[in-house]
Amino acid sequence: MTVAGLVAGLVMACGVAPREETQGNVQRIMYLHVPSVWVAYLAFAVVLVCSVVYLVRRAEGADQLAHASAEVGVLFTGITIATGSIWGRPTWGTWWTWDARLTTVSILFVMYLGYLLLRGMIEDRERGARFAAVLGIVAAFNIPLVHFSVIWWRTLHQPPSLMKPGGAAMPDIIRYALFVNFAAFTLLYAYFVIRRARVLRLEAEADA
Amino acid sequence: MPDNWGFVFTAYGLAAVVLTLYWRFLVRREKELDDAGVVRQQLRQSSSASGPQAAGGGRLP
Repeated sequence: MTVAGLVAGLVMACGVAPREETQGNVQRIMYLHVPSVWVAYLAFAVVLVCSVVYLVRRAEGADQLAHASAEVGVLFTGITIATGSIWGRPTWGTWWTWDARLTTVSILFVMYLGYLLLRGMIEDRERGARFAAVLGIVAAFNIPLVHFSVIWWRTLHQPPSLMKPGGAAMPDIIRYALFVNFAAFTLLYAYFVIRRARVLRLEAEADA
Repeated sequence: MPDNWGFVFTAYGLAAVVLTLYWRFLVRREKELDDAGVVRQQLRQSSSASGPQAAGGGRLP
């Protein structure tokens, strides 16, 4: 189902959605870039919730889910940064600029990379899980900062097109193509997290 | 503006490679751990099968 969703998303992005007037076909990167960042937000929100649950109940499953979700979130944040950079070259004339959105999303990436490194550095599993949970909660405060950075500061990055006050202002066909990709990427996220959480559980069993 | 299809293919290609590599890592790691789990279970079964025999042997008159 996930593969079918991704194929449908690709067809919608490169076949069905129209060529954008100003940017040309390079704007089709949006159908990959925007769902990737959506999945990253979702992944880090799951880390936040699972971290709180772990600190309150000390449930090992919540910790494993937070770990798996953070790893998948970092993967999708990396894809977001890379595809944004590739999109930026022909449209802005540069691969990278220290603009508010790009800087905040880089900080987000580094913070969750630190979260994963922290887990690997502490040998005592329970202690590592506790420290990681605290970092998972603190790092989540960066998510609204990333999202609203284009509204709060003057940036090169365009303002939000979908999740903005007053609703989305874009043709229906573009919106449908985006939603298909949102659904496909969300399924992919769920698939990765389920498998990664299982791997973490098996690793914990092997260590016990 | 020119179409820049090269940038589009690069972005989609890069994402496809990264996601495929991660998927392969997960599948391989899961298989390794499953195999190791089966071996551990077999070892446990064989040790539990030999354990009572030794204990039983001690109870023989």
